[in-house]
Amino acid sequence: MKKYQLNNKQLPSFIDHLKKQGTVFAPHKKGDTSYSFEKVENPNSVVLDYNRTLNSVKKYFLPPREHLLSFSKTDNSFRKGSFKNEKKIFLGVHSYDMKAVLKLDYNFSQGNPEENYLQRRKDSSFIGVSFIPDEFHFSQSVGIPLHDTEGFDIYLEQNSDGYTVKIITEKGEKLIDGFDRVSKAKDISSNHVQFQNKLKYNYNRLPEVFEQSWNAAVWEEVSKKCVGCGTCNLVCPTCYCFDVEDNLDLSLQTGTRDRSWDGCMLNGFAAVAGGENFRETLAERQRHRVHRKFKYISDITGEPWCVGCGRCTAYCTAGISIVEIVNQLCDEYEQNYLNRPAVVGLNAERL
Amino acid sequence: MTTEAKIKPKVAFFDFTSCEGCQLNKLNLENDLLDILEHIDIVEFREAMDDKAEEYDIAFIEGSISTPSCVERIHDIRRRSKMLIALGACATQGGINAMKNLHPIEEVRETVYGDDKYLFPTLPAMPISAIVKVDYKIDGCPMSMPEFLKVLKSLLAGQEPIKPDSAVCVECKLKENECVFDKGMVCLGPITRGGCDAICPSFGQFCTGCRGLISNPNKNAMLEILTEHGISLDEAKKRILLFNSYDHSQSLPK
Ligand code: SF4
Ligand code: SF4
Ligand code: SF4
Ligand code: SF4
Repeated sequence: MKKYQLNNKQLPSFIDHLKKQGTVFAPHKKGDTSYSFEKVENPNSVVLDYNRTLNSVKKYFLPPREHLLSFSKTDNSFRKGSFKNEKKIFLGVHSYDMKAVLKLDYNFSQGNPEENYLQRRKDSSFIGVSFIPDEFHFSQSVGIPLHDTEGFDIYLEQNSDGYTVKIITEKGEKLIDGFDRVSKAKDISSNHVQFQNKLKYNYNRLPEVFEQSWNAAVWEEVSKKCVGCGTCNLVCPTCYCFDVEDNLDLSLQTGTRDRSWDGCMLNGFAAVAGGENFRETLAERQRHRVHRKFKYISDITGEPWCVGCGRCTAYCTAGISIVEIVNQLCDEYEQNYLNRPAVVGLNAERL
Repeated sequence: MTTEAKIKPKVAFFDFTSCEGCQLNKLNLENDLLDILEHIDIVEFREAMDDKAEEYDIAFIEGSISTPSCVERIHDIRRRSKMLIALGACATQGGINAMKNLHPIEEVRETVYGDDKYLFPTLPAMPISAIVKVDYKIDGCPMSMPEFLKVLKSLLAGQEPIKPDSAVCVECKLKENECVFDKGMVCLGPITRGGCDAICPSFGQFCTGCRGLISNPNKNAMLEILTEHGISLDEAKKRILLFNSYDHSQSLPK
């Protein structure tokens, strides 16, 4: 792997170098204390030292709202939108968000491939950046090491003067090609970063816990504090549910078919014609959400579908923590299923 | 579009106890207004014209019921209307008017009318649906223009309008707003019915709950969120009741 040193003051010219090759998206400050990915106009407004962005880069491949097609009732016709073929460079992506993109790639290419997502996803390059885990990140617990470079073309690891640039792919090599201001990599002693937030069990032990999680007490307990606002769904980089709606314009003859993000915590989500709702209570919905992250897809793929970004917890106004939920599941599992003597005795009697 | 002259539905607007802000808001449609008039005949509209007609295909009602004469009038309008739609918080949920219901009615009358209190018969403030059947509700204070247009278009196209039933937070996420809780404010968005495109948080303001609450609000959890963020339980309840006294004053914890 080739390595270079990129000093902080060279960063703007590096970004300019990238901008010559495509549209660059990177984290910017947003509001008082937040960050969001934005198209880079001015390299000096890019912030690479950030905790998390409100939405992940998912929004570029699965936009929060989009027109799927426009239609006309007059001649019974419809027209799909077209996609700009532009080269997109995502700069400053954290390892967990990169993993989330790879997971969405899986979701949207299985079964009926999702054309809009796959079209938008084309021609994307990713330049990762290291981060300092805060009280919400727990990606290591779900099997994503801090400096995981899978999916990246280039990875920037922060050091005292700037960044160690690691070239991961040939595409990455091309991206940096011609940028002559990088120097030989400094020797960095990768200091050992600790995650403050952790799952009690390693992710590879979670399947046994989720075998027994259906009737756990935690769902009811958490639902007392939950307001069902759906924030935890909508900010999640691996949530991909959407709703589709037809909207007429004022001519009443033409209109658009639009889709927008939806989430399983919300009222309309599991409602069907006739007024029935398959998951009426917030406890059932919370259980579903967490099972979507740790069981249903995981049973098929062998990986958790949560990437430990911490967004659902950081942005939940009720302070509900997915790590606490899973840890309580582990506790309940230990109490009810691992302290076997009584249970075993009972079973033995029955036998 | 067909060339035959269509029979346009007759539409009327009426106001009850309110600031009449919703009707004025509707006149602000400007560009869209002419397109709308392609499809409907406005036959009664106190703010804009004087014509009177006997029967209406759609009656839009603004304001809440708060006197015995309101009750009579709304019965009369309902009798003459095929469809009746409540416009704005006062009409859909009693709105701010219903805060008066939190005090003994005698006390309220005395404060407002003093010695003349028995000249003006009054009732607790009520949404239109407390007295007659309401077919659709367009929420907000003032009512949400996009929702008004959406409902009107659906009805004209013969479709059932869909009532949003998720929280304002959803629209904040779709717009990637920074949550106002992170700006040190408290917000009712987590249990307030969306459909306004989170307009207040989008401009850096907290949501006051003007569109009413979602169909299954977890009020205890909301009170806990508000008090966790540093306001007293009393103040937290007042925030929820500002627009929601009629529906929710009885069910808040004492
Ligand atoms: S963000 Fe929190 S309060 Fe909102 S639905 Fe999710 S868990 Fe419940
Ligand atoms: S479930 Fe929560 S922590 Fe896990 S990926 Fe989604 S938002 Fe991040
Ligand atoms: S600002 Fe209010 S409505 Fe928006 S996300 Fe925060 S709590 Fe929800
Ligand atoms: S954000 Fe809240 S207060 Fe503002 S318009 Fe929407 S519902 Fe009303």
